[in-house]
Amino acid sequence: MTPALKLERRILIIAVAFVLILFGLAAMAINLFHVGLPTCLTDIKPFQKGEFITHSPTHYEVHYVAKMWDFEPKEVTVPAGSTVDIYVSTPDVTHGLILLGTNLNLMVVPGVVNYARVKLDEARTYQLLCHEYCGTGHERMAANLRVVDAATFTAPKPAPAAPSQQTGDSMAKLLEAKDCLTCHSMDGSDGIGPTFKGMFGRKTKLKDGTTITADEAYLREAILNPSATVVDGFDDVMPKPELTEEEASALIEYLKNLK
Amino acid sequence: MELPNEQKIEIESGLKRLILIELVLPTALLILGIYHGLMQVLYRAGHIHARKVLGLEYYQGLTLHGVVNAIVFTTFFAVAFGYAVIRFYLGHVNMKVAWLSFTLMVAGTLLAAAAILSGTSSVLYTFYPPLRAHPAFYIGLTLVVVGSWIAFFNWLPIYFTWKREHPDEKTPLAVVGIFAAFIVWLIATIPVAIEIIFMLIPWSLGWVPTVNVPLARMLFWFFGHPLVYFWLLPTYVMYYTMLPKVSGGKLFSDFAGRLTFMWLILYSAPVGIHHQFTEPGISSTWKFVHAFFTLLVAVPSFATAFVMAASMELGARERGGRGLLGWWKQLPYTDTKRWLFGYFFCGLVIFILGGVTGIINASYNLDTVVHNTSWMPAHFHQTVAGPVFLSYIGMTLFLVAKLMGKEIKLPRMNVWVPYVWTLGIMIFSAGQYVTGATGEPRRTNMGLTYANPESPLYHADWRIGGMSASVGGTIMAIAALMFFIVFFTTLFGKSTKRGSLELVVSEPYHDENVRAVQSFTPWLVGAALLLVIAYTPPIAQTLRSNFPGAPAYTPDRPTPINPPKR
Repeated sequence: MTPALKLERRILIIAVAFVLILFGLAAMAINLFHVGLPTCLTDIKPFQKGEFITHSPTHYEVHYVAKMWDFEPKEVTVPAGSTVDIYVSTPDVTHGLILLGTNLNLMVVPGVVNYARVKLDEARTYQLLCHEYCGTGHERMAANLRVVDAATFTAPKPAPAAPSQQTGDSMAKLLEAKDCLTCHSMDGSDGIGPTFKGMFGRKTKLKDGTTITADEAYLREAILNPSATVVDGFDDVMPKPELTEEEASALIEYLKNLK
Repeated sequence: MELPNEQKIEIESGLKRLILIELVLPTALLILGIYHGLMQVLYRAGHIHARKVLGLEYYQGLTLHGVVNAIVFTTFFAVAFGYAVIRFYLGHVNMKVAWLSFTLMVAGTLLAAAAILSGTSSVLYTFYPPLRAHPAFYIGLTLVVVGSWIAFFNWLPIYFTWKREHPDEKTPLAVVGIFAAFIVWLIATIPVAIEIIFMLIPWSLGWVPTVNVPLARMLFWFFGHPLVYFWLLPTYVMYYTMLPKVSGGKLFSDFAGRLTFMWLILYSAPVGIHHQFTEPGISSTWKFVHAFFTLLVAVPSFATAFVMAASMELGARERGGRGLLGWWKQLPYTDTKRWLFGYFFCGLVIFILGGVTGIINASYNLDTVVHNTSWMPAHFHQTVAGPVFLSYIGMTLFLVAKLMGKEIKLPRMNVWVPYVWTLGIMIFSAGQYVTGATGEPRRTNMGLTYANPESPLYHADWRIGGMSASVGGTIMAIAALMFFIVFFTTLFGKSTKRGSLELVVSEPYHDENVRAVQSFTPWLVGAALLLVIAYTPPIAQTLRSNFPGAPAYTPDRPTPINPPKR
């Protein structure tokens, strides 16, 4: 064997040894630091509803629904030192879930539930966001996971009674059910679409250049035939909602009072 | 470049025309692809707070950037370079078959480009269902791939004839490399062809209501990783057969080249799940197996780094280099007569970082820190936009000038292109590595939210990544502009002599005949075995009947195109 070939053989042995050592380190980290990767779960079906479950004062479980273009639940709070089991599912397209400041990093794939466990010791607000392209609103798809001092933590109570009258509460449910709130907020901030707050009676410039006042007739048209009435500054992306005539009328009444 | 003992052959005008069009057309398209590369870094740095600029929407441009730069440009170049190598070393190709392959590839490119530009296919170059593109997008990509297969099938009989006529000769190293590239390409494109033809096209046309997303994703990444070796192999062919000569020396080891090519056939494909480490539906055991194979596929790159450094040292010493490290000063860095050197050398330098970060990504649990963050574009631009891009554009310029008998115009500007590009890509990646490790997402129009001080989602801590990407990206765009000026002034300049097909051919420094790397057969059998082992159980996992299928969505509406009946 020539000296050159000997040298080559030595380089190959060093290279193989080097990658095997790296592989060994990754394997060791699984046991030493308990950092593994998500595996194949077969005993849980995709879910449609976000949930927060208390197992014990230091053990919680969150079922996140990642959907175009929001997480549900939008905000959860746990005490510092908690172990949180995170399950995530999607009713529509592929998403991602990264919990910034931790090693929790999951793909959310239609048809399959993903899972990881995280221990949160520091009292601060962790942001979780979607890191896989999921359509037009991808860049605003984020939520918060708050960790508070164990002393100040109070377990979540069932949702408080509706602040407004009966109809308002059922309308909020309808808006949620028809996915309106994914794009239209109730708090005055514009999202993919203009906010519902103060919409009635507002002077609005449309994409075709005309300016209208959002009266009852306009709102009816805008709800039932969205592409005909696109507001300036927004894209023509709203699907026709499946609303009955009664539901549309009730919705307009509701918007009239949402100042 | 006029090197001593340069080898040139006269070729028939039909083949010359074919190679020229296959080189010039994708280079022209690259202008569009690079334009959106530049726009992307401006959005992500927060210089642009908008969905679209000049009618091109962010994610539409991102789709264009990926498809043009990573699929169209690379595939056309590999086919054109393959024709050049096969004709140069082996013999005549069948022109009828060659034009059929060409027609399919051009038609496919036009279809896919039309689908993307119409705004109906903003699904990125990974086209993950259930986001649905226009059927023309899928059909166009299929035609490009099938066209490239036909080119490969055109070369096979020429190879077998040559082997029969030269029973005692080693197959030329460049031919081994090109065949390795297209064997890897065939292995890679069969699963993605199954995904597109049997799953996505019928589904996008509405013939079947739903698609199995976990299976589609696995077939995509079955393709997606060997794809990068298909890009890299023509680059390695240039490194092993041309760089030593351009440096002024000899190829240190012909054996290492053959071993590298065979090793990549063996290990390119059973590694795709390392792109799916954070996914559900795949057991962590099989992720671990793929991590192991992925690390083994790094070995030939270590060998290549060694052989290239050794070959350059031989060249530098030949040119008068002395001392343990002093010989580094004697390399032809900006020699206009040996201008290809910079295009090869800079790629190798960039690839050191691209390779190291690749090993990090492959290291199983370490991936949870960087998966889908801006770390990823920082990494793969230092591979595909480093050694691959620089060697491809360098060789495109070389072949076009030689085939048309033209002198390189603006030779001083030309030698600086790779160095400016390298400066740009180092800055582009540096900041994104840092912010990527803290979770800055990739594939996201940051300018609307995370890089917008007026948004509640604003992340001041990520500005450094965006700024470094925009400064580096702008420098890369300047380097690309310099290249386009050199390329097109050369292309439209006057011919000074009769055009011919020329390749740089390095001699080996020592030339063993190691039997194990002379035949493809054992390596092909090994590759088939590894694929069966590595993919049978994971694919079986995606076929579990309790995963519901997904209906189609367009990217702009949160409701399915055809809502399922309630």
